[in-house]
Amino acid sequence: MLTRSPRSRHHGCRSFPEGTRLKVLALGKSRQGLAVVAAVAALFAASATGQPPEREFPDAWYEPPKTASEVGLTSFSQSPFLDGRGLPPVEERLPDDPVVIQPYDSIGKYGGKARITLWDSWQFFNWEHALTLSADMRNVLPNLAESWSLSEDGRVTTVKLRAGLRWSDGHPLTADDFMFRLNHVFLDPDFSPVTYRGVRGCEFVKIDDLTFQYVFPEPNPMFVNFFAQYGSHMLDPMHFFKQYHAAYRDKEELDALVEEEGFVSWMAMYRALRDWGNEDASKVPTVRAYKVVERTPTKLRLERNPYYFKIDPAGQQLPYIDEVDAIILLENSQMIAFQAATGQLDFAAFALKTQDIPLLKLGEAKGVNQVHVWRRLHISDVSIQPNYNFDDPKYRELLWGKGERRFIRALSHAIDREQMNEMIYFGRGVPSQVTAHPSSRWYEQRFAEAHARYDPDYARQLLDELELADVDGDGLREYPDGSKLTITFEFLDFETPKSITMELVRDYWREIGIDLRLKSVERRLQAERAQANKMQMTLWHADKVTDILFPLVPDWFYPHRTGWDIAMWNHWARYYQTDGRLGERPPDDVRELQGWGDALRMATTEADRTVAAKALLEAAAENLWTIGTVGQAPHPVVVSKRLRNVTPTGIWGWDNRWTLSYHPATWYFDESHED
Amino acid sequence: MSEAALQPTGAGPLAGVEERQAGAAISPRRLMWLRFRRHRLALASGAFLLVLYVLAAFCEFVAPYGTTTRNDDAVNAPPMRVHFFDADGRFHARPFVYAYRMEVNPDTWMREYTEDTGRPFPIRFFARGEPYEMWNLFRMDRHLFTTDAGAYIHLFGTDPLGRDMFSRVLYGGRISLSIGIVGVVLTIVLGILLGGIAGYLGGLADRVVNKAIEVLQCLPSLPLWMALSAALPVHWSPLLVYFGITIILSLFGWTALARQVRGRFLALREEEFVMAARLIGADTPRVIRKHMLPSFSSHIIATATLAVPAMILGETALSFLGIGLRPPVVSWGVLMFQAQNPLVIELTPWQMFPGLFVVLTVMAFNLLGDGLRDAADPYSTGGMK
Repeated sequence: MLTRSPRSRHHGCRSFPEGTRLKVLALGKSRQGLAVVAAVAALFAASATGQPPEREFPDAWYEPPKTASEVGLTSFSQSPFLDGRGLPPVEERLPDDPVVIQPYDSIGKYGGKARITLWDSWQFFNWEHALTLSADMRNVLPNLAESWSLSEDGRVTTVKLRAGLRWSDGHPLTADDFMFRLNHVFLDPDFSPVTYRGVRGCEFVKIDDLTFQYVFPEPNPMFVNFFAQYGSHMLDPMHFFKQYHAAYRDKEELDALVEEEGFVSWMAMYRALRDWGNEDASKVPTVRAYKVVERTPTKLRLERNPYYFKIDPAGQQLPYIDEVDAIILLENSQMIAFQAATGQLDFAAFALKTQDIPLLKLGEAKGVNQVHVWRRLHISDVSIQPNYNFDDPKYRELLWGKGERRFIRALSHAIDREQMNEMIYFGRGVPSQVTAHPSSRWYEQRFAEAHARYDPDYARQLLDELELADVDGDGLREYPDGSKLTITFEFLDFETPKSITMELVRDYWREIGIDLRLKSVERRLQAERAQANKMQMTLWHADKVTDILFPLVPDWFYPHRTGWDIAMWNHWARYYQTDGRLGERPPDDVRELQGWGDALRMATTEADRTVAAKALLEAAAENLWTIGTVGQAPHPVVVSKRLRNVTPTGIWGWDNRWTLSYHPATWYFDESHED
Repeated sequence: MSEAALQPTGAGPLAGVEERQAGAAISPRRLMWLRFRRHRLALASGAFLLVLYVLAAFCEFVAPYGTTTRNDDAVNAPPMRVHFFDADGRFHARPFVYAYRMEVNPDTWMREYTEDTGRPFPIRFFARGEPYEMWNLFRMDRHLFTTDAGAYIHLFGTDPLGRDMFSRVLYGGRISLSIGIVGVVLTIVLGILLGGIAGYLGGLADRVVNKAIEVLQCLPSLPLWMALSAALPVHWSPLLVYFGITIILSLFGWTALARQVRGRFLALREEEFVMAARLIGADTPRVIRKHMLPSFSSHIIATATLAVPAMILGETALSFLGIGLRPPVVSWGVLMFQAQNPLVIELTPWQMFPGLFVVLTVMAFNLLGDGLRDAADPYSTGGMK
C-alpha cells in the first residue's frame, strides 16, 4: 500500500549534530590500517591455497591447457566435412603442438549445423585470445600464447606464441599481427583520436616472429588481465587488413575503395570488416573456430575453420559442429525468447532474461529444449547512477553538498531488496550494493550489505534532515526552496530486468516522497545523452567487478572514464583523462579516489594492490557512488535437446566473456536423441 | 416549400428550425429516436458505453485498489473466482473468494496459484477499504466492493508487480476513454472551424483549407504520431503528456470532419431558408449558428462518434509502442505495452484484458455511430426496411 511521507517540516538550521555527521570518504582509516590490511591479505591468500575451491568443472579448465605432446597424442583426425576439399593434411594445418581441450562431459562427434542468433555469436564460438581465463575467474591461462611473463618493475609484458598457428586462410599467425593491431589501430591517431587508456604509452617490441613485448613507461602489471579478457581486440590479420589501412595502402587507391564500398572513411570500412558487418565478411581471416561463408542482411552463415588450433583428447580437431547459421534479429529479444522456448534455436542466452525462465521451461516440459540456469556475473543487475555533474545546482547540492551522503543513503534504504528478489528473481538472486564479486579476493560481505537495509522510516528521517519537505501536500517532497523535486530517469532497458526493477524502485521512492519519472530510451539516444551529460540519473548493470577487470576498469568506484553505460561523473572523469585540460576539477576527496585508482592499477605487489582495492571498495560502500539492488541473478541458457557438453551451471557476464572458459568448441550434436 | 422539396438535399431533420411544417405529426427529434431505437445493436452498444463511462468516471470508487497498490502475495496471479458455495457445498448469501496459495514450481519456475479453501475472503459491498481521493477532491474510503483488511480480491488477476488488473483496467479506461472524448471535442472544434470557413467563405480560403486537408490525409498517420510524440519533452509531467498526445491525435483527426462540414456549408448556403434568413437581415454568425449548424448537428454527432474509436486506437497504438503515455499513468495502451511479450500469451493471458476492452469499446462505438448515422437521417431508408 502506498504510504504518504510524513508532513512534518523541518525548520532547523542547516548544520548537523556532530554525531550524525557522515564521512564523505573513509580513506583515512584504510591508510592507517595499511599494515593490518596487508597482513590480512597474506592470511587470506594462505587460506585460499589451503583449501582448494569447490570445482564444478573439469580440473583442466583451471590450469594451463595440455598440449598433444604432453598427453602423448601423435595422430590427429579431421571432420569428414573437410574431406576432399583439397586442403593440406590435418597434421599440417594444426600447430606444431596442438592444444588439447577437455570436454565437459563426453568426447563428441562431428557434424551438424547449429541455429543461433547473431546475439549469441560471441558466446557460441568465442574469440580466441592470446591468453584466456580460468574457469574460476581468478587466473590467466595461455591460449594462442604458449607462455608469458611480467618484468619485475611491472613495465614489460613478454608474450610467446605457439609455433605453427595459422589464420583461417592458412597464413601463419605471428607477432606482426599483434603489432599491427596495437600500432595501427590503438595507437593510430586517425583511427583512435583518443588513445584507449589500457594501452596508452605502450610500445611494441618484436623479439622474433613468435615473441614480443608490450613495454609501458609506467608500471602496468595488470596489463596481462586486459590482454586476456580484451584479447579479441589485440590482434588482427595484418596480411589481410594491410590492404585496408592508410599506413600500408596508397591514399588514392584506398579512398577510391572506400568510395566504392560506400563508407565514410577507411576507418569505418576497417571496423565494418572486422565486425563482419557487411558481405565482405567472408574474406576476413580469423583464428576463431568458425569463419564466415556468407553474410546477408538477415543471416550470417559460418563453417568450421580448417586451421583451428585445438583438439580433443582423442586427437580430433575441434570444433565438433561443422556449420553455424546465425540469424540476425536485432533489438528483438522477445522474438528470441519465443524461438528459444519453441526449440527453434540450438543455443540462446544473450538476449534472454530472468523473467523468461518459466516460458523457456515450458519448452523444456514439452521436450523441445533444455534450460540451464546460470548465474549472471553482475554484482547488481541494476546499478543506479545519480549524475554528480548534472547541470542543475540544486540537484548537485543534494547529491554532493552540505547534506553529504544523506540523500543517496535515503534512496538506498528505501529499496526493499528482499521483496525485489522475490518478485523479479524468484528469490534466487542476491541483494547487494555495487562492490567486488564474491569470487574476488577483495570481496567483503559488509561492502555488499552497506546501507542496503530496508528502512523507509530512516530514509524519511534523512530526507527530513535535508529539509526536503512536502510543501504543497501532494505526498512528494520539494527542494528546501519550495521548488519541485523530480528526478528524470532515462535508461536503456536491455540485458537485465531493468524496467521492472525501476518500476519497483519508483514505488519505493514514492513512499518516501521522491518523485521519479522513468523514461526508457533506445540505444543511440542513451549513448548521446549519457556522453552529453544530459542524464539526471540513469543505470547500467554492475559488471567489471571480478579480479580480472576490477583493477583495470573500476567503473563504479571512481571517475575515470565516460561512456554510454556510465554517466554519473563525466566532468570529473574528463578532467582525470585529460590531466586537467578538459572537464571540471573534482573535489579533493574524488582526486584522492582517483589516486587510489592509479595505485590499484600500478601496484606491483599484492599487498599494495590490496590496500588500494580495499580503499576503493570501502569508499564505495560508505558513500554509495551508485545504488545497488539485486545481483548474481539466475540467467537462462537455452540449448536444444541435441546439443551436448554445455555446462549446466556457469557464470554469465562480460568479465569472463560469457563462455570463454567453458570451451564452446567442444559442444556437439547427439542426433540419436532427436525425436 | 413542401416537405418533399426538402428531401433531396439530404439536409436531414430541420430540428431547431423555428417555422415548423404544418401537419407534421412527429417531430424530427422523435423520429430520430424511433429510428435509432430500431437499431438494436446500436442501442445495446450505447448502453454498454454508458456503463463503461460511468465505471471509468467513478473508477476510484468502483476499483477496490489504486493503480500502484501491490499485493506481494500475488505476483502474476490468475483471476479469482467468485464463489457462493464453499468447498463443502454449503451456500453463502454473501459471495466470497478464496485466498491464493502460491508455490514456485522448482522444475518449471512458475508461480502456481491454487485456491486456499481454508481462507475464504467474503466480499463486502460499500465497505471501507483503501483510502483514495475521489476526483482528487474528496478523501474517501468506501468502495463498491472490497474485502476485509488483510484479505484481497483480484477479479482480473494481477500483473508482474502484484497490482490488481481489475483496478488498473478501470483506471486505464478513464484515461483511454476520456482521451477519445477530449480528442474528439478538439477535432470537432477544429473541423467545424476550418470546414466552416472553407465552406462558407469559399474562394481562396476554401482552396487553402482543402489543400491542407489533402496534404494531411496523404501523410501516413502512425509515423507522424510517432515523430511528434517522440518530440514531447522528457521532463513533462504525465498530465502534460496526456494533453500533448490528445492534441497530436486530433491534429490529424479533424480533416474528415472538416470536409463534411465544408460540403454541408456549400450545400446549405444556397438553400432557400438560409437565403430567407439572410434577406430578413440576419448577420453571418447568426445565420451559421441559428440556421445552418442545427441542420447538420446530428451528422456531426454521428461522425464524431465514429471518430472516437480512432482516437482510442491512436492512443493505444502510441502507448503500445512505448512512445505515448508512460507509467505511472495507466491507460489501456500502457497496460497492453506491459503485456506485449510471448510470456503473457503463454503464461498470464489475463494480463491481456485491456486489449479485450479496447476491442469491445471500439466495436461499440462503431455500432453506435452506425445507428446514429442512420437515425440522423430519419427520412431516408438508411438501408433499413
